Amino acid sequence: MAGNMKSVKLRIKSVQSTMQITKAMELVASSKLRRAKEYADACRPYFHELYETLEEIADGNTDFTSVYAKKADSPRYCYVVLAGDRGLAGGYNSNLFKALEAEAAGKDYVVLPLGKKAAEYFRRREIPILTEKYAQIADVSVSDCFEMAKMLCKKFRNREFGHIELCYTRFLSMLSQQTDVISMLPLTDLDRKSPEEKKQIRNLILYEPGAEEVFDAIVPEYLAGLIYGGVCESRVSELAARRTAMEAATNNAEEMIENLNLYYNRARQASITQEITEIVGGAEGI
Amino acid sequence: MKTFPLCIGTPDGLQFDGEAERIFCRSITGDLEILAGHCNFCTALGMGRAYVALPDGTRREAACIGGMLSVMNGNCRVLATTWEWVEDIDAQRAREAKERAEKAIATGGLTEQEYKIAEARLKRALVRLGVKE
Repeated sequence: MAGNMKSVKLRIKSVQSTMQITKAMELVASSKLRRAKEYADACRPYFHELYETLEEIADGNTDFTSVYAKKADSPRYCYVVLAGDRGLAGGYNSNLFKALEAEAAGKDYVVLPLGKKAAEYFRRREIPILTEKYAQIADVSVSDCFEMAKMLCKKFRNREFGHIELCYTRFLSMLSQQTDVISMLPLTDLDRKSPEEKKQIRNLILYEPGAEEVFDAIVPEYLAGLIYGGVCESRVSELAARRTAMEAATNNAEEMIENLNLYYNRARQASITQEITEIVGGAEGI
Repeated sequence: MKTFPLCIGTPDGLQFDGEAERIFCRSITGDLEILAGHCNFCTALGMGRAYVALPDGTRREAACIGGMLSVMNGNCRVLATTWEWVEDIDAQRAREAKERAEKAIATGGLTEQEYKIAEARLKRALVRLGVKE
């Protein structure tokens, strides 16, 4: 009994120190979350408007002179994957990879990972990686996004891949985040209309000075804007996921400690009772 | 005068969302102004002065750098990389940025990439100062 008591005591201690860590992580996540949420809230309208505008343009576009607007001639995909730098965020990273795998099944693809976890994951799977320069998602700034967009555009024009998609986690609320894969290029991928509907479009879009020049100028900015928006959303989602996961872990640890304490006290009481019985039994024997 | 819904967004937040009479800005080919009832239109923005004329007769000046302008079914959207209202521009900072960039270009010895960055910084500072003064 005494040995058992000792191991229970040790177990309580170990759970307690784990709880301390999870509690600290929860606090860190919630304090970072506030800032990240401000960024994401500021960026969200831009992100939506940008995507909606390009969707509308894609719907109404009948001018396919630009490489970015044409149907892709390469079947290869490039996924920009926005994961976290660290684990311990519940299903945040694994959900994202699952969604990506479902999306990319059977396709030939390369990835541009943002976030350490994403880089590690693709390295392990031996999937071609464009660059690991941006493996720290926490440090990615707007100008990094512009660099990325320029690089992607260059490779897209060289026909290294025919489609660019963004794989990120959308922040719905503090408690729920949704993984999402959206098409970015070419614009025909964004088109929501069937060819029959398309034929009826009379409302042509005027491009000034010309479709090619306009797309050449706006596409890098559009990509950068979407990536930056995705980064903001993913960052806040990661922190929210971590906070929830760590809150649950702290609660679990509390419950475990309570149970173990109860068990420990029972064992202690039992050993005392036993001792008393032994003493009484011994006294009677005399 | 007739108005149209205008939305101006940047990665740092929505700068304007409401009705406007006119919007003036600089595209990659030159200055342009959008009025209500414009046909579907799309262009890329350059760097320069911009203003929005509001229905109450006021005119808000701004510095606009890069991005796109689109008119779709009467809705005008300006998605700029930077859109700073004149009251938000920090003239002191812009002046300092201008001096720094000028110095960097004057001293030379820059790589092509660095030169481009310095040039872009100088251009941005000049646009900001031009709007402010």
